Amino acid sequence: MQYFSQMVGIPVYDSKGETLGRVKDLGIATGEVFPRITSLAFKGTGAEPFMISWRKYVDSFSDSAVSLKVPAEEIRFSFLQPEEVLVARDLLNRQIVDTHGLKVVRVNDLKLSQSGTNQLRLLGAEVGVRGILRSLSPHLENAVVKVAKLFGTDIPENIIAWSYMDLLDKQLKDVQLSISHRTLEQMHPADIADIIEQLDPRLRSEVFAQLDVAQAADAMAELNEDQAAEIVEDMDASQASRVLSEMNPDDAAELVNELDYEKAEALLRMMGVKEEQAIRQLLGYKEDTAGRIMTSEFLSLSPEKTVADAIAAVKDAEKDEREMTNYLYLVDEHKKLRGVLSLRTLLIKNDNEKLSSIMEKELISCNPDTDQEDVADAISKYNLLALPVVQEDGKLLGIVTVDDALDVLEEEHEEDLQLAGAPSTNDKDNGAGSHELRRLMTNQMWFFFWAAGALVMVLIGLGALASSGVPLGEVAALSNAGAIAGIAFLAGGWSGVLAMPIALLMSDSMINYTTNFFIEHDADDEDKPSMLSFIAHGVGSAFIYMLLMVLIVLGLLLFMANSGIFPIHVPVLFVGFLAAAVTVLISYFTSPLYLNVLYKRAERGKDTSRLTMRFISDLFSLVLFVGLTYLFCYLAFAIGLVA
Amino acid sequence: MRSRKLKTNAATEAARTQQANNAAPKCDRLRFALILGALGPGLLAAIAGTDAGGVATYSNGGSLFGFEMLWTCPVMCFFLIIAQETAARMGCVTGKGFAGLIREEFGVRLSFLAMGALLVSNSLETLSEFAGVASGMSLFGVPPFISVPIAGIAVWLLTLSGSYKRVEKILLTLACILVAYVIAGFLVQPDWGDAAYYTFVPHIEPTPTYLALLMANIGTTIAPWMIFFQQSNVVGKNAGPDSVPYQRIDTCVGAIVASAISWFILLATGATLFPAHVGEIQDAAQAAMALTPLAGNAASTLFGLGLVGASLLGACVLPGITSSAICEAFGWEEGPNHSFKEAPAYHIIISVVLVFSVIMVLNPMLNLFDIMMVAQVVNGVLLPILMIYMVKIASDKRVMGAHRNSKIWTGLTWFAIVAIICLTITLFVMQFLGLA
Repeated sequence: MQYFSQMVGIPVYDSKGETLGRVKDLGIATGEVFPRITSLAFKGTGAEPFMISWRKYVDSFSDSAVSLKVPAEEIRFSFLQPEEVLVARDLLNRQIVDTHGLKVVRVNDLKLSQSGTNQLRLLGAEVGVRGILRSLSPHLENAVVKVAKLFGTDIPENIIAWSYMDLLDKQLKDVQLSISHRTLEQMHPADIADIIEQLDPRLRSEVFAQLDVAQAADAMAELNEDQAAEIVEDMDASQASRVLSEMNPDDAAELVNELDYEKAEALLRMMGVKEEQAIRQLLGYKEDTAGRIMTSEFLSLSPEKTVADAIAAVKDAEKDEREMTNYLYLVDEHKKLRGVLSLRTLLIKNDNEKLSSIMEKELISCNPDTDQEDVADAISKYNLLALPVVQEDGKLLGIVTVDDALDVLEEEHEEDLQLAGAPSTNDKDNGAGSHELRRLMTNQMWFFFWAAGALVMVLIGLGALASSGVPLGEVAALSNAGAIAGIAFLAGGWSGVLAMPIALLMSDSMINYTTNFFIEHDADDEDKPSMLSFIAHGVGSAFIYMLLMVLIVLGLLLFMANSGIFPIHVPVLFVGFLAAAVTVLISYFTSPLYLNVLYKRAERGKDTSRLTMRFISDLFSLVLFVGLTYLFCYLAFAIGLVA
Repeated sequence: MRSRKLKTNAATEAARTQQANNAAPKCDRLRFALILGALGPGLLAAIAGTDAGGVATYSNGGSLFGFEMLWTCPVMCFFLIIAQETAARMGCVTGKGFAGLIREEFGVRLSFLAMGALLVSNSLETLSEFAGVASGMSLFGVPPFISVPIAGIAVWLLTLSGSYKRVEKILLTLACILVAYVIAGFLVQPDWGDAAYYTFVPHIEPTPTYLALLMANIGTTIAPWMIFFQQSNVVGKNAGPDSVPYQRIDTCVGAIVASAISWFILLATGATLFPAHVGEIQDAAQAAMALTPLAGNAASTLFGLGLVGASLLGACVLPGITSSAICEAFGWEEGPNHSFKEAPAYHIIISVVLVFSVIMVLNPMLNLFDIMMVAQVVNGVLLPILMIYMVKIASDKRVMGAHRNSKIWTGLTWFAIVAIICLTITLFVMQFLGLA
């Protein structure tokens, strides 16, 4: 016996061999790493299933039957104990959190393991494809696994152990608390945030409700602002304000900024005065400035104090869980920043030394209006864990910590990548519409070129047709009457529309090929392949693509010629694809030009945007393609292929 | 998208406040805001439901049988309310999608059956949407093998980038052009007495054509995908059990609007195409004739715009719904927020459905208007299967708690199921006996 799906429905016999019913469900003791099966539920002739103790009554079991120790009359039915879970009712087919793989998954089957003749344990939940196939039919599973083997791939089982499961169902939550296993509560806030991002809105709120305020606040800080704002809007106001107060003011300010005005005001008013003030102050600074991401939670002391005082202050601060106590900031009576001490310095100095004598007076700091990117650069340049933010008059306002600086750098990097035309790595970005459009433009530029080109070609075709005097509605019917040139141009245009994406996409891939070559090989690289091999390689692969395409097109043409699907003469349809093939070849022959430009500009220390190159090469390909299509159209017409 | 989200959140928030101080007199304004806020999923589903297939079916009904099918509108409205109210309620109470519920209550095998049915039905429906795009665009002189691949790629990009929500409003507006039928209905000056008579007194012709149309009528008015769409919208808005009453209002308004539009399409086509002996409609140009009294020469432009808008809306919504439902049932990652690597199944299903539809529509052996009709018949056949799942879940106390189906509601649902099954069987028997 290995799987629950195979055990459901097998008959249950009593000691006299009489059938009592069929297996319906199994109860497990939740307090173990591999829970024992403690109860057996079977369905007899009645509507309701019976439950009996597994340990007391089950004598043996096999793939095809469960036998009990006693005759039917001596069986006493039992009830589900509070720490028991029914696997079919509560686990099978449900969504659970895999706290190890950090994913939300659905349970497709349950894997059991036999120990002794009558002991059964739950090994874990099968969440992979094999569970689905097995539930459909074990034969299907076997067949698919064998076929996959033939192709050299192995479909592994995907089992999640009981100790790595977290049930989402609220009622079952209480059961879980009695077990020592890794539930959501014990996970790192960043991991919790990852899981929350995968959940439905309802479950999301439920999971949040299970966390205590501190955890909720930490997890909230790890979510992206849009999602955090959504959750806050769904929470009830008092809970939301508690979570916000618990968050670091800089994270809270970012979140509040995403909320709509009324909700934000209401929440701010419900918070403690101190927290509200801190957040409002941060919100007062412009976006993307140091003021926005700084935290007012730092440790400051007078320079007149001694090392012993300072260490005591650090210990105190650690108790209230300040954001960061890596540095001690020394301020005078006017709160002006005088110096900085690292914890390390404190540790190695004598207790009675005065802070003013050991502090670092060469201060690196920024203004609240400093650009975030500059702040991040400074932090990374000087290898700091935090950077103080001071007013014009030298008053210490707050600090920017390294984790916030990292976020900034990551965002900037992302933006730079997008400018360079690389696909965005941040899929969850739901930025403004223009941003979305720009992303689409940069990633799918060919599509816009195609749309524009298609429009032009159809217009030219219609124009040609109009000038030849054939009414539009009769094109399909008109196969051998006059004005063939017009039709040829229209039909050629249509085939061009179909084939154009090939030319454009290949021109994009040519630019990718070129830039990748450039990135991999420096200009003065010794083992850099020669220009000739660069061209040969590129053109060669393009040539193979073209051969493949011609093969496919020929096949299609033959098929169409036989079935008469399109009301246009076959050779003209070929025109677009021929033009695409030639365009791609020529476009690959131009690749050394782009490569040279790249090297030349790099020599002069300039950056080249991949986007611009793509634009130029797409434009070139488009013009070439349109020209070639009509040239071929004309040739086909001239040599009488269209008649 | 943002503004919609805010509105709903305001609604749920307001619902909570209202619950807290139920006795307070200032509720009136709140309640109004609440109803407005809740007017979402039901109405959206209803308008999206009046798609290419719908227009084709109703136009054919009017053209072939005049006013004889008008009685179906109140009946369908009733069926629609039954299906959609239950779906919305299930969403409110459980916070889970319909596919997820089917899986949890019925296990792998039966979910497989249900998802198979949904995949077939929705693929055909998507196909019919592209057929709608093709016939709509053909009114502007754009041949299908240009319009359809372009539409296909555009829909693919929109669905997978998740940015279709931005275009949704534009498409909804375009789809609302079909409201022109209401005006056209008045302009043709039909015999209102006749119309009223046929609306309330059922007329059934025992011919296969009539029954097939009736079947298609059911399939398009209460399309299976609308149930999934409705429930997932409700779940997405995180409406709790306390917002059930407002979802009811929303559902009823949506159903009535949808039925009214279909009634007017039947009326307008019945008053123009039927007397002209057009017979079975062959293409969009013929269907557009019904709008001639309103728009004159611009009728085909108006009809074309409306048809393309409605079809594109459907084409954007359908593959996503299908794929989400299947992924939800089998526990795979889903949603446009995931990359291909994270959610391969989701992306593959959407792409396959789209590619299938585009290729099938381009096959010139098939009559576009026929495709739209066939899809609706298949829907009609698959609908009872899904409705049986639905009624079972909705009357389960363990799932639905206090909000489970009342006996009357369960009875009505079963009545609808039996009626649809009987119709299906009659249709098949007639076709089998060669009465066609």
